[in-house]
Amino acid sequence: SVGRGGACTTSAPSLHITFSLSLSLSLSLSLSLSLSLSLSLAFCSQDIRNTVGNIPMEWYKDYPHIGYDLDGKKIFKPIRNKDELDEFLDKMENPDYWRTIHDKMTGTDVCLSDEQVDLVHRLQQGKFGDVNFNEYEPAIDFFSNEVMIHPVTNRPADKRSFIPSLIEKEKVGKLVHAIKMGWIKPRRPKETAPQYYDLWAKEDPNAILGRHKMHIPAPKMRLPGHEESYNPPPEYLLTDEERQVWEQQDPDERKLSFLPQKYLSLRAVPAFSRFIQERFERCLDLYLCPRQRKMRVNVNPEDLIPKLPRPRDLQPFPTLQSLVYHGHSSLIRSISISPSGQWLVSGSDDCTVRFWEVCTTRCLKTMEVGGPVKSVAWNPAPSISLVAVSYGENVILVNPGLGDRLICSATDQLISSYEEPEEVKDQQVQWAVPEGKAQEQGQRLILTHPKAVKQVSWHGRGDYLACVMPDDGSSLQVVIHQVSRRRTQNPFHRNKGAVQCVSFHPSRPYFLVATQRYVRVYNLIKQELTKKLMANCKWISSMAVHPGGDNVICGSYDCRLAWFDLDLSTKPYKVLRHHKKALRGVAYHKHYPLFASGSDDGTVIVCHGMVYNDLLQNPLIVPVKVLKGHIITHDLGVLDVAFHPTQPWVFSSGADGTVRLFT
Amino acid sequence: MSQLQARFFTDNKKYVIDDVPFSIPAVSEITDLSNVINKLLEGKNGDHKHVEFDFLVQGQFLRSSLATHLETENISTEEVVEIEYVEKYTAPQPEECIMHDDWISSVEADSEWILTGSYDKTARIWSLEGKAVATVAGHTDVVKGVAWVKRDGLSSLLLTASLDQTVLLWEWSSERNKLRARHCCRGHAGSVDTISVDPTRSKFCSGSWDKMLKIWSAVPTEEEEEEEEESNRPRKKQKTEQLGPTRTPLMTLSGHTEAVSSVLWMDTEELCSASWDHTIRLWDAETGSQKNMLTGSKVFNCISYSPLCHRLATGSTDRHVRLWDPRSKDGSLVLLSLTSHTGWVTAVRWSPSHEQQLISGSLDNLVKLWDTRSCKAPLYDLAAHEDKVLCADWTDCGLILSGGADNKLYTYRYSACLSDAGA
Repeated sequence: SVGRGGACTTSAPSLHITFSLSLSLSLSLSLSLSLSLSLSLAFCSQDIRNTVGNIPMEWYKDYPHIGYDLDGKKIFKPIRNKDELDEFLDKMENPDYWRTIHDKMTGTDVCLSDEQVDLVHRLQQGKFGDVNFNEYEPAIDFFSNEVMIHPVTNRPADKRSFIPSLIEKEKVGKLVHAIKMGWIKPRRPKETAPQYYDLWAKEDPNAILGRHKMHIPAPKMRLPGHEESYNPPPEYLLTDEERQVWEQQDPDERKLSFLPQKYLSLRAVPAFSRFIQERFERCLDLYLCPRQRKMRVNVNPEDLIPKLPRPRDLQPFPTLQSLVYHGHSSLIRSISISPSGQWLVSGSDDCTVRFWEVCTTRCLKTMEVGGPVKSVAWNPAPSISLVAVSYGENVILVNPGLGDRLICSATDQLISSYEEPEEVKDQQVQWAVPEGKAQEQGQRLILTHPKAVKQVSWHGRGDYLACVMPDDGSSLQVVIHQVSRRRTQNPFHRNKGAVQCVSFHPSRPYFLVATQRYVRVYNLIKQELTKKLMANCKWISSMAVHPGGDNVICGSYDCRLAWFDLDLSTKPYKVLRHHKKALRGVAYHKHYPLFASGSDDGTVIVCHGMVYNDLLQNPLIVPVKVLKGHIITHDLGVLDVAFHPTQPWVFSSGADGTVRLFT
Repeated sequence: MSQLQARFFTDNKKYVIDDVPFSIPAVSEITDLSNVINKLLEGKNGDHKHVEFDFLVQGQFLRSSLATHLETENISTEEVVEIEYVEKYTAPQPEECIMHDDWISSVEADSEWILTGSYDKTARIWSLEGKAVATVAGHTDVVKGVAWVKRDGLSSLLLTASLDQTVLLWEWSSERNKLRARHCCRGHAGSVDTISVDPTRSKFCSGSWDKMLKIWSAVPTEEEEEEEEESNRPRKKQKTEQLGPTRTPLMTLSGHTEAVSSVLWMDTEELCSASWDHTIRLWDAETGSQKNMLTGSKVFNCISYSPLCHRLATGSTDRHVRLWDPRSKDGSLVLLSLTSHTGWVTAVRWSPSHEQQLISGSLDNLVKLWDTRSCKAPLYDLAAHEDKVLCADWTDCGLILSGGADNKLYTYRYSACLSDAGA
């Protein structure tokens, strides 16, 4: 029982302690002053209220009183004579001990009523002290978002709610300024298109999967066919001839690597004699077969060709054969157009020179000379009407009597007005005035050279005439005649190879001499060699100078046409190999950016050759048209080409005895 | 599409049929359509004789089957196709072949006489039947152009232009068949290729290789006062005197940068010239100023003007005959290209009576008769020449003449329709 009693004594004070704790807690939380008032009111019949306030009561420990009542009289401590034992007995015997609490303020013991205990219990459980108070009453939403007819408050709207806010305005202004200055960027519109991630975009070809993709499976063996059968159908068996053919063939060329054979039964099939060889070849195939795809660079061959304008955009140029000038009975070596473009002169191997009207192909004049005509040249000066014709060793100057009568008579007068100088120099060339019929025909002067004259070429002013007498062993190959003074000069005293053709420079005092492999440009005033152009070909046949004077084209017997830019280099700027056979004649147009070449293959090739004033820009050379028409006779096709002086037309003379006009 | 709806109409009162649409096979050609029309006409009046018709769809001659024509012309086959029919133009009937000694460079004919210029340095006068009447010899070089100036009664005036840089004015009396050179017009510095007499017959214009146009008076003046000094003149001058007194131009029009190939008077005050410099220029004949310029892309060989349709036709070296509107102010305007020749076109001439027809002669030996409503194919090819055609003319009385390098002058009688020929 003692043990039980002991257990009880331990439990009772603990309850008391909890009470005091809970009370002090409730007081300290200042739950209510009213609670303590009601407690004190409930506990005491008379109001003995201590007025010391909320102070530690230890301060009155040594005094006989513990405070003052409302009248200011001392409240004396009740006489405490209870000792521990009394306390214990009280605890054991008093059934109301557990509800008795000690009031520190008055020093008395108060016994709590049932209502007060119940109140303490409710407070301990965190409930409201009032039993009747329902904390979960349905809420009434007085200040709802709904606009009511009769609002709870009838306050008018604030002024700020309808006046623009200056602060906001300032903030917006700052933002706008920042956007304007580019300090902040407005939000980018969201990209609506869904973005996908290309899983294989950056795949490493050396990765395992990549290697797998490049893999090539090993070659498979062909499945056996009927011919491999031990009993093939008879059409698979080779006949004797086929067998012979098979035996004679190279092992690589054979369609079958074995001879199909027929056996009566499977038992009769012998051991496979080629087994080891076949296995070895199979192993070799597997060993040598490519195991990886080769990465080849795929270049479109079209992309490697330089971009040239389309010929259609380079109009005008001659495209069609328009007129054919029939009349000569033998090959026509040379043609020349009058400066006005109205007349054409042609010199042929049938020993005649013919004058044609360009627009009607009418032969207006035929002049017989004493040999095959090698070269004709119309005087380029518009005020002189003279044609130089070379045949054999002679060069005759002809006044054709075409064109303006005044110019013709002035030319005649110019030639006849010559007076013999007093001291006659011994010249290598004889100047003679023809008589009789030749004079009537229009021949005005005959120049007899020591050697056969191959080419004649006028100077642009029309007074000087250069003649070429090709001869490899002599220094007298080129002579320059001055017609008005009937003088002849030999400008070169040293032989530098057989001269093919010569030409005067159109604007500067230069003289171009083409030998077999080189073109030499001489300065006639300084009497020195200015330039030596290397044509890179075996034998130059013809030469033409661009009317601008900075470009030269050379045709050669080894099918090439070399374009030289005199400012650029002594080597060809461009070499065109469009002809299949030797080139015989080349020509530039006077105004249009055109040049043409005639060849033994019977064609004339017209090219667009644009020369720019800008020195930095290279000439643009585009072949535009192949003109066919001449019939190849004795392996010769076109012998000479010449452009019309004003129209984009080209004339060509051929071995078939015709001159053709392409427009 | 096997059938399509078509309505036929015509301007010719004689051949009017009912204005109702017919359903005709799409593959039908001209002959089929012609038969249809003839059937309808027979049904209408019993005494109808068979007539060949030609058909136009939206102003273009039908030359293939109807379906392909509509397809190429982009005409809808859903709707009723309006087809105009006209009596088929009959082929020009060859009449004469007049032989010359040399190439014929130029020809001009009127209602009685034909004047031709030739490369044998003479011009000749022929009757329409091909009889040689007179030879005009006086030039020292090829005669390039001829023109009648005036024919009043028995005496007439004619002009010849030549490569020797002169134009000669001749007087010819057809009764006595006597020729007299009245004036020698000197001034050109190149061959005179073309001459043209103005509508009042008092002036003429010449175009030359020297890029100039010159206007001269075509009225012969009396020459008594010239003769008194004849004795003390040099011989050469006397020789020229036989060709009449020298005449100088009234006016020189310069502007062309290349040779003038053809010149004509559009009316009394307006000149038109075509040149090798790829331009056609219109000139004011009174002031000598250039009024307008039409630029082509090729050399012009010849030009012709039709007062009926106010169009210029040119022949150039690129084988096309082009039609121009000379009144257009905005530069060059090619209305139409007639393409069928294979050589340079050297002669064009509008019909004097029909506003849509013209002839062209070319170096491909052909003379073609064109209708501007059919620009792809000519109405007729006149393939009589064996060499280049150099000149052509079309007289008011319906005679087509063409001369060429085969030394022959062909004449054709042409009337638009058979019924007209009968009338």
